[in-house]
Amino acid sequence: MAQSLKFRQIVLSNRLTSLGLLVVIASVSVGVAFAIFGARVTPYDPFVLNLQESNLPPSISHLFGTDFQGRDVFSRVIAALPIDLGLPIAIVLLSSVLGMFLGMTAGYMGGVVDEVIMRITDLFLAFPTIIMVLAVAATLGPGLVNAMFAFVFVWWPPYVRLVRGGVLEVAAEDFISISKALNSSFSHIILKGILPNIMPSVLTYATLDVGTALLEVSILGFLGIGIPPNTPELGVMVGSISYGLYTYPWQALFPAFVTMLLVIGFSFLGEGVREASDVKVRPYILFKGRTFKKATKAAPQVAAAH
Amino acid sequence: MRDLFTGNFGIDPLTGQTILSEILFYLPNTLELVLFSFIIIIIVGVAIGYQAGMHFSTLRDSVARITYLVSWSTPMYLAAIVAILLFANYIPIFPSGGMYSLSIAPPPPVTGIFLIDALIALDMTAFVSGVQHLILPALALAFVNFGLISRAVRSSILNVRWSTYVKTARAKGLTEREVRRKHILRNALVDATSLSAVIFGWVLTSTLVVEELFAWPGLGQFAYQAIFSNDYPVLIPIVVVFTFGVIVANFVADVAYSILDPRIGMGANGAVT
Repeated sequence: MAQSLKFRQIVLSNRLTSLGLLVVIASVSVGVAFAIFGARVTPYDPFVLNLQESNLPPSISHLFGTDFQGRDVFSRVIAALPIDLGLPIAIVLLSSVLGMFLGMTAGYMGGVVDEVIMRITDLFLAFPTIIMVLAVAATLGPGLVNAMFAFVFVWWPPYVRLVRGGVLEVAAEDFISISKALNSSFSHIILKGILPNIMPSVLTYATLDVGTALLEVSILGFLGIGIPPNTPELGVMVGSISYGLYTYPWQALFPAFVTMLLVIGFSFLGEGVREASDVKVRPYILFKGRTFKKATKAAPQVAAAH
Repeated sequence: MRDLFTGNFGIDPLTGQTILSEILFYLPNTLELVLFSFIIIIIVGVAIGYQAGMHFSTLRDSVARITYLVSWSTPMYLAAIVAILLFANYIPIFPSGGMYSLSIAPPPPVTGIFLIDALIALDMTAFVSGVQHLILPALALAFVNFGLISRAVRSSILNVRWSTYVKTARAKGLTEREVRRKHILRNALVDATSLSAVIFGWVLTSTLVVEELFAWPGLGQFAYQAIFSNDYPVLIPIVVVFTFGVIVANFVADVAYSILDPRIGMGANGAVT
């Protein structure tokens, strides 16, 4: 308990990390609010065309201006949050579950199974991500679910490597061999012995990965493949402007900057958590003006993470 | 399978040309862009990561971290759009797209890479025009992709900074400069090298967006058009070429790895051990 308290303190003592956490919490709650209440939480209906008010510059009544069909860009950005947060989170969740399953199988079984799984993983890792996603999404046709599967198809290999490495490390520890000697069941060793020890590194990687997935999803939308046109999605909103860029830059800039803000939130958060769980670096992090080592007057902590 | 390795990709159903000749036309342009921005990425990335690592937990570290985290979180299209709007529209110092001015006759193709061809033909106006058109897309590519290198350099510096062998080096009486260059930076570069292959792959695939926005006649734009016209016979070879590029980059990084780090040797069968 003391360990986790300190961990939380370190994470929150870093202003960048707290900022990231704030951005993530705020955007997720707005996204959830829109998903539940729909257009009632936005100043205008993001789906209704109003051609009389098309291409208006940003003003007080239209915070981010309006797009070429007169829809309020600010409302559309809010409407995009459930998709732009939900899709990456779903992608990372599915990929990490798949990756944990394959990685634990490979790491724990070893031998031929390990060899086969890892060679397949290497094969998938060699393909450039976004190109493969584009090819798969173009084949599957437009649709949010299709886009998600296109991503999961190429997103899982890093998780397999991460989990397998962790399993190999943990499985060599004494407590696992003791556990085996005590005739613990297979599922007990996996769930109680190995899983808790690899979860921190997976979670850290996943936090950063949500940001990356968000970027790639919006790039997919920008290129206009996989995600249906006219969907309120940040990348789609940027991509639909290419001809009026010089005249109506706000239509592209605001959604693009919001994308950046969201990704920054996840990056700052993930980065801070990663740093705080790094045993070698943690004692030297400045904590209330002193290094953490001095602040606790203790030897470098042996962290549960890693 | 033999056709795949001999480069016989068949004929583009849209243009009627062989796909290989089309790829060979577009590939040098992409290589020019990617290599140029890759050089910027390595230099800037290592410099920023080094500054952050050596000044850990201070203001300089925070600024460097914010810089690379923000750059890393920037969508590729945002960097390109802002670059176009700022430096081609509001402050028109660079052209907004294309590979060279339309008023210039391109130099005779020797290597296919525009800048090198211009140098061979001693055509300075073409060379200057080429560089002018290259700067904006290359900077946009570099800005988005340098973050990972900085982060790797920073974290490997943090890993070695307080280690015993650095203390030993200081105790031996080496100057601070020597310690930093030979013992800290060199170790940091090992990690950066292995990552540079990943970065190369990212830059290569980022060309999809950048080439589209900057109207750069490269492989990314070709791929984009192929996807849009459902031109699968063309798309498959392009994916192969991109993948091949990433594999070659990985191989080069592995070789560079063994040169930088003498502990890593080549195994008997050529595999890096």
